[in-house]
Amino acid sequence: MTSETENIVSRYVQRRVLLSSLLFLVMFFVITAALARSYHAREESLVLEWFQKGNAELANGKPALAIEDFRNSLSYGPENSQVQLRLAEALLADGRFTEARSYLVNLWERAPGSGEVNLDLAHVSMQTGDVDQTTRYYRAAILASWEKEPALQRRKVRLELCEFLLAHRMTNEAQAEIAGLAADTPTGDGILLEENGRLFLRGGEPSKALAEFEAALRINPRQSQWLGDAGQVAFEDGDYLKAEAYFSKSDRENPNPEIHASLLLVREILGNDPFLAGLSDDEQARRSLRDFDLGLQRLRSCAASGNAGLSPGQSQSEFQLLNKDAQDMQKRVTLRSLSRDPDLRNEALELVSRIEDAAARGCGPGTGLDQALKLIAKRHEGNNP
Amino acid sequence: MSDPNLPVDEAQAPTSTETAPSAATNGSGTKWLSLRPHLFTLSEGNLFLLLAIIIGMFSGMAVVCFRITIEWIRLALLGSALAPPPLRVLLVPAGVGLVVAFLVQKFFTGARGSGVNQTKAAVYVFDGYVPFRTVIGKFLTCSLAIGSGQSLGPEDPSLQMGAGIASALGRRLKLSRDRLRLIAPVGAAAGLAAAFNAPISAVLFVIEEVIGTWSASALGAIVLAAVSSAVVMRSFLGGEPMFRVPAYTLGHPAELIAYAVLGVVSGVLSLAFTKIIAYFRPKLRALPEWTHYFQPAVAGLLIGFVGLRVPQSMGTGYSYIDQALHSQYTWQFLAILGFAKILTTSLSFVSGTPGGMFAPTLFIGAMIGGAIGGLEHHFFPQVSASVAPFALVGMGTFFAGFMRVPITSVFMVVETTGSYSIVLPVMISNTIAYLISRKYQDVALFDLLAKQDNMELPSMEEEREQIVLLVEDAMRKPDSPPLQASDTLARALEVAEASTEDVLLVRFPTGRWAGMTRKDLHAMAAGHSNETQLREVLSTARLPVLHPDQRLDDALRFIQGHEVLPVVSRAGSRKLEGVLSLPDILTAYQKTA
Repeated sequence: MTSETENIVSRYVQRRVLLSSLLFLVMFFVITAALARSYHAREESLVLEWFQKGNAELANGKPALAIEDFRNSLSYGPENSQVQLRLAEALLADGRFTEARSYLVNLWERAPGSGEVNLDLAHVSMQTGDVDQTTRYYRAAILASWEKEPALQRRKVRLELCEFLLAHRMTNEAQAEIAGLAADTPTGDGILLEENGRLFLRGGEPSKALAEFEAALRINPRQSQWLGDAGQVAFEDGDYLKAEAYFSKSDRENPNPEIHASLLLVREILGNDPFLAGLSDDEQARRSLRDFDLGLQRLRSCAASGNAGLSPGQSQSEFQLLNKDAQDMQKRVTLRSLSRDPDLRNEALELVSRIEDAAARGCGPGTGLDQALKLIAKRHEGNNP
Repeated sequence: MSDPNLPVDEAQAPTSTETAPSAATNGSGTKWLSLRPHLFTLSEGNLFLLLAIIIGMFSGMAVVCFRITIEWIRLALLGSALAPPPLRVLLVPAGVGLVVAFLVQKFFTGARGSGVNQTKAAVYVFDGYVPFRTVIGKFLTCSLAIGSGQSLGPEDPSLQMGAGIASALGRRLKLSRDRLRLIAPVGAAAGLAAAFNAPISAVLFVIEEVIGTWSASALGAIVLAAVSSAVVMRSFLGGEPMFRVPAYTLGHPAELIAYAVLGVVSGVLSLAFTKIIAYFRPKLRALPEWTHYFQPAVAGLLIGFVGLRVPQSMGTGYSYIDQALHSQYTWQFLAILGFAKILTTSLSFVSGTPGGMFAPTLFIGAMIGGAIGGLEHHFFPQVSASVAPFALVGMGTFFAGFMRVPITSVFMVVETTGSYSIVLPVMISNTIAYLISRKYQDVALFDLLAKQDNMELPSMEEEREQIVLLVEDAMRKPDSPPLQASDTLARALEVAEASTEDVLLVRFPTGRWAGMTRKDLHAMAAGHSNETQLREVLSTARLPVLHPDQRLDDALRFIQGHEVLPVVSRAGSRKLEGVLSLPDILTAYQKTA
């Protein structure tokens, strides 16, 4: 065979083999595609199957089992963010914070704007005691996107953040967050307004709290719980008139022993406070004298009890000194002198306050009138009416 | 075709005289080919490149089918949970081990082992011939073995399957012997690229471990095959990196010390792993033939026992590597997983169960790396980063120490994770592990396995380390300066009188060199006046020149027919650095020997 013929034959064989290879390649492609499609379908069903199992286990309070299920699910869909998130949450529920954090950081890198991921990371950081990180993730979660009910989710996160800040005594930051929360609260939702009020109260802003409760009461003026809350805030703020109004209304709407007790206390205060606005000098004098006599009785009864209840550091001489001061003042205190001398009324009440304090430490907290006297004295502490 | 090992498919290919002319002229389906002869007329070089793409596509699809088959078998035999039920864990690897052993012993003897050495043997012993039966056998037996929980991986078998597919196509196309030898590595790279979803590492591995050369023709085809294979695989199984890793940044330079410690530990453990395999494999192979039917089953049973406590040590373990990379285990448990995997993989491999070592090596590396990272973090939290980057670096480090492919290992970590930032610790750690392994284990694993199989395959590592003699190692200074072309014959006679050199070198102003022996000189002097310049008598003479940095092997080709050659500077060919003669070359080689 000549080289020319060999060449032709060789080229012929090449073409034939190449064409048959291409044909076979197409057939192989079809088979592989079918195989891959069926496998992917099976993988997807396994991802879902294990995911649902994991969710059920987590809902039943079995995070350890849920972790295994989610891991099984992830082995068939390693990129599935939903499964990764749930796995992280299960790890979090099982107290495995480092492991949870690893998944969450991975998710966060892929979706830094995910509300759920940021919230979970806040939870992990909270568990590991990293206050700065926790605050940062909470704030990111508030600003992040949420798939379902974004407004509600953001409010929940903000509430959590407020709780966290209050628990860590970060009052200024907490007050700012509560203010933000209140600003975003729809005015027609009494429950949310009441929730805000409670937070303001815990954040040390009773007047803002009262405003929230009053806003809630404008929506439903007969809601006894809110009336009670408003009364309590007014009481703590020293606004006993307002407190009496709310307590009595609440007591009428839904009698409650606690509210009723508070109402009685407020009434005692209002009935004995010599500096209540609008009282004449004579009335102020009468009340001051009565309060002074009550204080004196408290001192004597406490001293008569043998001072068994002296608190550590409290000496017998404190009672002796109070007794001496009381006797000195008793000489000066008359209805007439009190009526003429507002400073004396003040002095008398100050002494009553000292007596109540000492008696509370030595003989236990006073009740009824004694409690009222203590609150009256406290209310006017440092005041010069 | 007088080779007794002629493959069936090649023997059945149409012979030139019988079928080609008639088919070309009569067959309606092929007639157009003969009418348009310029179409599809490719040079062998171009055909080879086209073939590389086709091989890549075939290999990619074969690997996709292979991986899916493994998964289907695993689902069918062990169930869909990562931790299978205990009874299955005990019975399945052992039962399937029996089947696999029977298939290997009776039908697919070539399917035994990992596949890397078999591919090397195909290149260096069998002229690129890998029987197609081996491809089928590898596919079946490895799918069964790995799917049933034997602690082996699919990468090395994929490499061999790719080589087998390439070899079959090459034979069909009646490629020359040289091309056939080269085509097996091309297929190997394609198979590995698809199995790992890492074309760069596959190319590097084949060059580093199988062919050991960077020749342009080989590299082009290998790259094309690897890329087309990876593209095909990604189109079916997705383009995500094999492992997802949290972002890593080097926090403090002192962290590198921690990684260096990891390099030391991984180096020592990879060495121990190699020694275990090197010791037990020949012992088990030397047992009576009938025991070979049961060895994989016994190994499967033992693996089952380990799997009852540590199910993570079964199968490929990719999911668990992923979990280690996400700090899902304590360092103590990571250490347990690493040692359990060394045990189960050793059992699977030395028992002759077909399957690869890549995946287990990565698994062990990740676990050991994570354990070391966790331990260091426990004692030095300020220096050491979290566990995950250590697991990541550990993968490459153990791989470098065990497989002895330092460059591939670095790229493999980068490619399989998509994380480039880790490269610095990987390089440090890998180098240490590689050097330790090399110092205490003379022969690399694959070379060792080849020796155990009575094959003397070239060791790429040894070739890399071989001392290359250069011209400067053999050249000597001439005892007299060279003559100039303007010198007279009288001057040349004077110099010859004073010199001991047999050949006098003459330098021309253009940088050309010529040489003349004493005999030539005397003959010239007899025929010409003493005042005749040398340029007149040496007008056509020209000597090849050498440079000091040229390989001595290359110098041998030039020195044929010359007694001595000038060695000149690369900065100017008029500057003589020395002279080189054949005896000088032989003396240099003798010194090295």
